[in-house]
Amino acid sequence: MAFSGALTLTDLNDFITPAQACIKPVEQTNPSTKVNEPGAAATEIQIDASGSYYEVSNGRASGQKLQTAEISLNDCLACSGCITSAESVLITLQSHTEVLSFLSSNPPPSSSSHRIPVLSISPQSLASLAACLSPPPPLAEVLSRVHQFARTLGFEHVFDTTFARELALREHISEFEERKRRGEGALPMLASACPGWICYAEKTHGEMLPFIARTKSPQQVMGTLVKEWLSDKWQKRPDQIYHVTVMPCYDKKLEASRSDFYNDMYATRDVDCVITTGELDRLMREKGWDLAAPPPPSPSSSLTPNPFPTLLTHPGTSSGSYLHSLLSHISESSPVPLTLTTHLPRAAQVDLEEYTLSTPDGTPVFRGAKCYGFRNLQNIVRKVGRAAGVQVGRGAAGRLAGGARRPVRAGKADAAYDYVEVMACPGGCVNGGGQLKPAQAWLDARDPEGFARDWPASGVAVAGLGDASARWGDKAWTREVEKAYWDGREPAFGLPTPPASPKMGGGGAEDPLDALAGRVLADLCRPRNGTKSVRWYEQMDEEAEERRRQCFRTEYREVESEVVGLGVKW
Amino acid sequence: MMDLDFPYKLTCIAELSGHEDRAWNVAWNPTKPLLATCSADKSVRLYSYAFSTSDPPAFTLHTSIPTGHSKTVRAVAWAPSGTTLATASFDANIGIWEREEDGSGEWECMSLLEGHETECKSVAWSASGALLASCSRDKTVWVWEVHPDADFECMGVLMEHSQDVKCVAWHPNEEILASASYDDTIKLYLDDPSEDWFCFATLTGHTSTVWALAWAPGGGYLASASDDCTVRIWKRIAEHQWECVCVLEEHGRTVYSVSWGAAQNAKSTDGENLGWLASAGGDGRINVWELEEAPDATVKTPPKYKVIARIENGHGESDINHLAWCPREGLEGLLASAGDDGLARVWKIEAV
Repeated sequence: MAFSGALTLTDLNDFITPAQACIKPVEQTNPSTKVNEPGAAATEIQIDASGSYYEVSNGRASGQKLQTAEISLNDCLACSGCITSAESVLITLQSHTEVLSFLSSNPPPSSSSHRIPVLSISPQSLASLAACLSPPPPLAEVLSRVHQFARTLGFEHVFDTTFARELALREHISEFEERKRRGEGALPMLASACPGWICYAEKTHGEMLPFIARTKSPQQVMGTLVKEWLSDKWQKRPDQIYHVTVMPCYDKKLEASRSDFYNDMYATRDVDCVITTGELDRLMREKGWDLAAPPPPSPSSSLTPNPFPTLLTHPGTSSGSYLHSLLSHISESSPVPLTLTTHLPRAAQVDLEEYTLSTPDGTPVFRGAKCYGFRNLQNIVRKVGRAAGVQVGRGAAGRLAGGARRPVRAGKADAAYDYVEVMACPGGCVNGGGQLKPAQAWLDARDPEGFARDWPASGVAVAGLGDASARWGDKAWTREVEKAYWDGREPAFGLPTPPASPKMGGGGAEDPLDALAGRVLADLCRPRNGTKSVRWYEQMDEEAEERRRQCFRTEYREVESEVVGLGVKW
Repeated sequence: MMDLDFPYKLTCIAELSGHEDRAWNVAWNPTKPLLATCSADKSVRLYSYAFSTSDPPAFTLHTSIPTGHSKTVRAVAWAPSGTTLATASFDANIGIWEREEDGSGEWECMSLLEGHETECKSVAWSASGALLASCSRDKTVWVWEVHPDADFECMGVLMEHSQDVKCVAWHPNEEILASASYDDTIKLYLDDPSEDWFCFATLTGHTSTVWALAWAPGGGYLASASDDCTVRIWKRIAEHQWECVCVLEEHGRTVYSVSWGAAQNAKSTDGENLGWLASAGGDGRINVWELEEAPDATVKTPPKYKVIARIENGHGESDINHLAWCPREGLEGLLASAGDDGLARVWKIEAV
């Protein structure tokens, strides 16, 4: 499946195809008290050159302008009429042109209605940009160049989202502990960072929602950091900041539009606008900015000091290492040394991997899996549903004659997971729908090699398999982006992991990252004991815990299908 | 009614009534004397018959399965073992059915394959029985791997068609899957062992919806039935290349179904007998074609074909939705049909 780096409607249905036409009823109040003259003919609707609609009574020159139907992203998110792709029509609300139009209309800083423009970029987006340069520069260099570019546009602050991810991972671990140790919530816990998966689950697998972690995604934690924590530091209101994120995925736009991330008091979103990597790339091209050229050296003072550590690495996967941060945490907090075994249920299928932590006597204490791509996602839904005994899907299950299904055989292959890192895209976030396409030069240079190596070896004749080159290109390109993401470091994961993953308790000199995370938590949650720093896994007072939930957790809602397949040719 | 110019004749030997709405599909059990029919009335009916190669077998209702599907059961398919039945329903689910082992003989839903967003149109087991394919109006084709205990693992979700997918069919001895669609095309798929299922060929030529597919018993040809009133024959001209070699035009309305069976007592006159192809559709006519490959045929030589038997108004005024040759040895001359009149009929083909 090919991906496009720029916004076109057909590229938006990443993996889930449209199901039905938009079914939102258009309501129009008709305040007209106009009385038809007796015998007057009915009115008709005319469309003028500008696309406006007019209700025109017969024989009259001008008509009454009609209200244009408007469908917001929220309407779409609350509807199951279609999945993902009709939302795409409305995604133009969040585009690079929208960013430009905001920046050009933003009053100067001296004005009270000035909003501080902030840009936060994901590490996967940086990797995609890096992979398109030859040779790929380090991510820090790409970030610096993007920073320079963003400043020419008017952005006052540019961050990467890895510190937000650090906090999301800590909260994720807390949530897992609540479920596993304290029995508060269902297991297995499923990752919550992929908005495509969340959208799909809400619309077609409501029974999966209790399993999905409540932890906000890094993008939305970043939203909280910028609009709650930084705004406080800057002594600004949340609506005095305009927060743009750069993401590898179109569905992040839908995520940012969720009502859960809307601040009613200040009528502002935690993330005001999301653009994809491809849109950022297009923006740079339109402005004549060459990312390949090192920007002119600028005095470091011209770059505003960054309150966050930059480009933190989380070893494990390029989709956020949610599973691996749990593996590290469980291993580190275990009273006995644990060993990690990995298993690929389908050889050479890197999108499905199983990880087991076992005690020295071989007893498994944790079973996790990484599961990417729509197909693997289907099997996880089936497997989790079977193991937990919940009804999968909303079809005719249970109403079927016979009813009772055979109990699931308890075999080693069927042992239940504790955690699954679910991502909708094959290859994970580095292969997101919003990422850049491989450069033609790259494809030209590498395709023949791919043919020579891959196809005959797998016993498939090359003749007539024209589509294969494109497929291979996608996979190989994803590997390039993956390589750029790891920035020359080894992605290999071991237990315990340096650099230090989030720690639980413990003494000694406090890690600066722990210290900053603790300060952010204390600032945002304001525990009653007035402490200036809270250890991430400590329980605070109930009010502070409530604020913590607001800052770092979210909710999901099953979307009921109202679609009736009428008037369809079978 | 019968055209006596044809060398063979079709005789109706059984009329199977009982469905309360249109009958969509018929499926012969490959190992047992059972014939399954399904209908818009959401039920599946199983008929048993006495095995006989001489006398026409008598058909009796074995059981009726109410299925529990909330909408039309559009298709049924027997696994090669003959013990498992799959149903495809407009309720977007695929049902997997087996007979209770506890002696009650009840047919029980062992598993429900969910994932399709809208109406399922067709379901098919691979020749080995290890894979199951399904398709839907949601434009997708799904490939499932059959695991023990009626468990299934999704192996691929193929989003190649731009419209409703009407039919899926497996190659008789290789793991090649074909699908036919409202987008007028046929797609062929293969598994890449290190990755996923993928489309390796798109067959274009039909000028309207492709409703049905049937592989030749030998696997060297594929037949397709279309709303353009034709049946096309596609020939394998290289390992992964298929080309249209003939267009069969003996229908006045949409052709909804094709079935390709091994000809009974096939006698080779001067070439290789490719079996009998039956086609039917909106014109109520059943055509039986004999196809033969010339001994000196090159890779691209079309087979010779002729209509050898014909029935007009096979289901009266009603559309014929489906045809199926009996796959069992000695019974290759039996053809079953399902119609909008809610009936299933069994026909016997005999030399005049």
